Amino acid sequence: MDSAFGHLTVLGSSLVLLCGLTLLWRRGSAAHIGAFAAQSVALAATAGLIAVVTGSRELWVVAVILLGLKGILMPILLKRMDRRFGSPRELEPYVNTATSLVIGGLLVVLAYIVTWPILDVSRLPTRAGMPLAMGLIFVSLFVIISRKKALTQVIGFLALENGIALLAMLGTYGIPFIVEMGVFLDALMGFLVMQIVIYRIQETFESIDVEQLNRLSQ
Amino acid sequence: MPLPTGYIVAIAQTALALLLAPGLVGLIRWLKARLQNRRGAPVWQPYLELRKLFAKEVVVSSNASWLFRAAPFVVFASTVAVAFLVPVLAVPLPFDSVGDLLVVVYLLLLGTFFLALAGLDPGSAFGGMGSSREMTVAALSEPTVALAIFALALGAGSTNLGQIVARTMADPAAAVSPGYLLAFGALFVVTLAENGRLPVDNPATHLELTMIHEAMILEYSGRYLALIEWAAWLKVLLFFSLLGNLFVPWGVATVLTWAALGWALATLLAKLVVLALTLAVFETRVAKLRLFRVPELLAVSFVLAVLAITVSFLVR
Amino acid sequence: MTDLTLFTLMIGGYVGGALAACLFSRGALARWLAGVGAITGGAAALALGGGKLFDWSSASFTWIEVMGETSIAGPLQGARVVLIVYPLSALFLAIVGAIAIPAALYSIGYARDWEGRRSLRTPGVMLNLFLLSMSLVPLAESIFWFVLFWEGMAISSYLLVMTEADEPETVSAGNWYLGMTQFGLGFILAAFFLLLPPDGSGDFTALAKHAATLSPGLKSLVFVLALVGFGAKAGLVPLHVWLPSAHPAAPSHVSALMSSVMIKLGVYGVLLFGLRLLGGGPAWWGGLVLALGAVSALLGVLYALMEHDLKRLLAYHSIENIGIIFIGVGAGMMFLSYGLPALAVLGFVGGLYHTINHACFKGLLFLGAGSVLHATHTRNMEEMGGLIKRMPRTALFFLVGAAAISALPPLNGFVSEWVVFQALLGGATIPKREVAVLMPVAVAMLALASGLAAACFVKAFGITFLGIARSHEAEQAHEVPASMQVAMAALALACVVLGAAAYAMVPALARAVAGLAGLPPASALSAPGAVGQISPLSILLGLVVLLAAIPMALWLFRASRALRVSDTWGCGRIAQTPRMQYTAAAFAEPLRRIFAALYRPTEDVSIDFHPESRYFVQSIAYRAHIVPWFERYLYDPVIDRVIAWAARVRAIQSGSLHAYLTYLVAALVIMLGLLMLWGS
Repeated sequence: MDSAFGHLTVLGSSLVLLCGLTLLWRRGSAAHIGAFAAQSVALAATAGLIAVVTGSRELWVVAVILLGLKGILMPILLKRMDRRFGSPRELEPYVNTATSLVIGGLLVVLAYIVTWPILDVSRLPTRAGMPLAMGLIFVSLFVIISRKKALTQVIGFLALENGIALLAMLGTYGIPFIVEMGVFLDALMGFLVMQIVIYRIQETFESIDVEQLNRLSQ
Repeated sequence: MPLPTGYIVAIAQTALALLLAPGLVGLIRWLKARLQNRRGAPVWQPYLELRKLFAKEVVVSSNASWLFRAAPFVVFASTVAVAFLVPVLAVPLPFDSVGDLLVVVYLLLLGTFFLALAGLDPGSAFGGMGSSREMTVAALSEPTVALAIFALALGAGSTNLGQIVARTMADPAAAVSPGYLLAFGALFVVTLAENGRLPVDNPATHLELTMIHEAMILEYSGRYLALIEWAAWLKVLLFFSLLGNLFVPWGVATVLTWAALGWALATLLAKLVVLALTLAVFETRVAKLRLFRVPELLAVSFVLAVLAITVSFLVR
Repeated sequence: MTDLTLFTLMIGGYVGGALAACLFSRGALARWLAGVGAITGGAAALALGGGKLFDWSSASFTWIEVMGETSIAGPLQGARVVLIVYPLSALFLAIVGAIAIPAALYSIGYARDWEGRRSLRTPGVMLNLFLLSMSLVPLAESIFWFVLFWEGMAISSYLLVMTEADEPETVSAGNWYLGMTQFGLGFILAAFFLLLPPDGSGDFTALAKHAATLSPGLKSLVFVLALVGFGAKAGLVPLHVWLPSAHPAAPSHVSALMSSVMIKLGVYGVLLFGLRLLGGGPAWWGGLVLALGAVSALLGVLYALMEHDLKRLLAYHSIENIGIIFIGVGAGMMFLSYGLPALAVLGFVGGLYHTINHACFKGLLFLGAGSVLHATHTRNMEEMGGLIKRMPRTALFFLVGAAAISALPPLNGFVSEWVVFQALLGGATIPKREVAVLMPVAVAMLALASGLAAACFVKAFGITFLGIARSHEAEQAHEVPASMQVAMAALALACVVLGAAAYAMVPALARAVAGLAGLPPASALSAPGAVGQISPLSILLGLVVLLAAIPMALWLFRASRALRVSDTWGCGRIAQTPRMQYTAAAFAEPLRRIFAALYRPTEDVSIDFHPESRYFVQSIAYRAHIVPWFERYLYDPVIDRVIAWAARVRAIQSGSLHAYLTYLVAALVIMLGLLMLWGS
């Protein structure tokens, strides 16, 4: 942990986590999409850093794909979706902002408790960032369950995918290319399906407030 | 030239802080003006303000009691006491074992307590509103400060400021560790909250909807107002010294020679200018938050402090 | 003065005061005799306890044999009536004595109100008996005597609470209080009986020896029972609901005694079981105490913020401070179980120091609130204001108490909270990281509680004493009698001195826990490594010097000395009325909104318009409520179920003589049958 590389990976992981926490703090789709874009860029930078040190070519490709796909392309798609379906009205989340942030902090502490046994065993220089990645996974799950707007939930899901990718990168010091591609495709599929579903929701209810889905049972 | 003893340096350090504080605030205001395409008042304007206020007559409300007249002295005394404890120029000074970081925080709370009471004394609604909001913000920033102190003390093994500075100087790699950076972020937000800077409070406004600190001191005039304003500016300088010297301690004198002290002064001025510029840019960039969004900002700083601690736990 | 002399003086003082109040039940003589008796007893208790605590050279306990040897057979009594003064007991005895003196002095002036309206017999007698039983609880060394004095304390305090029983809320408060006391006693008795050795001796030394042979599960059960029982007395969440009603209902000096001293005996009980009888245990005991303490601290202050009744506000703050004490005690127990004796002592010292300090400043605050009540005949803050000009000395003493409870340096509240903080910071060295990471959570909760306490006391002091009087009574308020002022002054001075004399207090308190449960003996105590260093005395001196230096500097630099008194600036309005000031509800409004998830506040606004036009308002009535979670969702269902069950059991009381005779015969037959079974 004394090495500069270790510090820098933790710094990168912290930035990724902080962008995830920003999803809990800021309101409005524009802020959320911006946070997601920044998170993906930070993730790509971390991947690039690890790629530089390990010299792994797969990681370079992963970094570039992360930057292009999740840092640039998906935010554009999300902005377009927001412009078509987004309501200018802000929906109050189930849990208010300050409480969400405190819960987010506690989730990170929980992530630390959960990953400490691994930290004791692992000898990788990147191991210090793993609890932060785990924390991001928990925080993204919390975003998905506590926010009402479907768009925010989609972004939460994408952030979750970022967290899993980060955890894989730090934990295995580079991930097998095919695994990463598989995960990407999964996410892309999920994203496209969600686009269709959101379109359908919008058609039926004229809003993308997921509370309205309750009405389906009536 | 005989070597200056610790006590003389401590007193000189406090006097220096008192003298520099108005200039620092003047610099911040001038930088903000320039960033906003205005000419701005000269950097030494606050000194002229102090001189004017000390020469003016004090008007006291007929409803006010002795507490109103005593509060400016209590606020000023507690802030100057903090100036003795914060490592502005050199460590370790003789007063290092008198008070640690917790004492610093609670001495500042002492000043805020009396100022809030003084806001309620004249029986005006402005004062009550200012007191209520100020105590709310102060109470909500306490956990963040405590956790930031915890994070710093974990590494240094003590809450005494001299030891924290010494530890960082001995282990430079720790200064860029994420724990320290996160703690810096948390303390920066607390600096904004405690000193009434944007986005928590606007120090230049007098609209009732937007005042916090200004509302509490609305009734003050003359030398009382001068003392309170000077104490507030000194508080800004002390917070900047803490941010600078705890997290980037190089330059702080560890031996009491003229050369070391001179170098300490130069680096202190440099750090103050950098922080003033950062604050000016930040204040120009953000808008003031609604009062009920401020707890969210403080919750963000709290989470940063929590992260700082959990990350520091690994460095053991 | 030997220990025996002091002890006899203490008993004599209290008994004498009680007898005098019995004989002379009216007039100033009754007040003075009862008060002087209590003061004598209290002074003797303080001398006895304080002497044992600061006695550097003597052994760790002293035997005092009273009434010679009386052997009473059976499982309830020890073979001898023995009262021992362990250092821990000495500390609590000193606390009782120290607060008894100002409270009794205060009661002399306070009871003047009752002359002619009530008999002074019961309050005088019960005050002395209350103090007597509270002084003897820490000294008791067998189950019988402990429970005897404990119950004596409970009953005498109940009768004291009911002194002003003509108000309906007093009766309800008394019922809650008695119910919770008996509930706690049940648990305490259960804990004691589980520890009884086979030979039936109730002596504490025998209990401790027997406890060492018990299984860990049984020991844990005993600890939990004791925690529930003593926690109910101390006011730990969720057993705190009696505190906010009982303390305001009692006369002010009784509230002071209850809040400063009686609930501390709950702390004594937990320490007795945790350290002496059970000799320390697994870490989760300490963790449980710490968690309950942290929750109590935060919830206590959050509910205090919403109160407008001055005494209810102070009662909730007692819950908060008990929480802080238990944070220190819990941290100490955890460190003990992890084998960190130096940090354990630090934790206990923090808890015990806060016990003393809270006794002082809470006593002061309750006496101050009583003075305000005496002067304005109301406890509602919204009807006060401007009292600092009418009652300047009371205001000054109340300010000292408010600053102390808000943990402002250099007063005593700050110093003990600092010690507790340092103990929690030391928790980072606990080997188990899952546990160590809970320390920052406790630190954050403690810091938040202390910040909110400061906010709450700005409200309490500011709305009550500052500004303009909001009612006629507040305008006509007058300063209280001299005896009450002297009592408050003594406690205010104690607050300052206890803070500045920390260098003497901390070693003395460390001695109080030395030797218990594996902690190092008094001679081997050393400061733990990872703590900071402060000098409250220097801070006090420094602040005084600065406060004097600033006006001198202003004079030296020839600042203007002109001063003019004028109206409060009003933004162009013509007149200022008291209605234009901030109210207590308005002051707490931002925090009410921020913590709305806890409070679930509801508001009721009804506006009376002028009959001729809706543009003119005649009056507005505003009512705000918060949800009392514990009362509504924990206690009410339990009480309802108990009442329903009791209603069913009532069916036995049919009123028919034949039915009762049948019950008697049936019970007799069953008993005979059981005896035959056991015999064979």
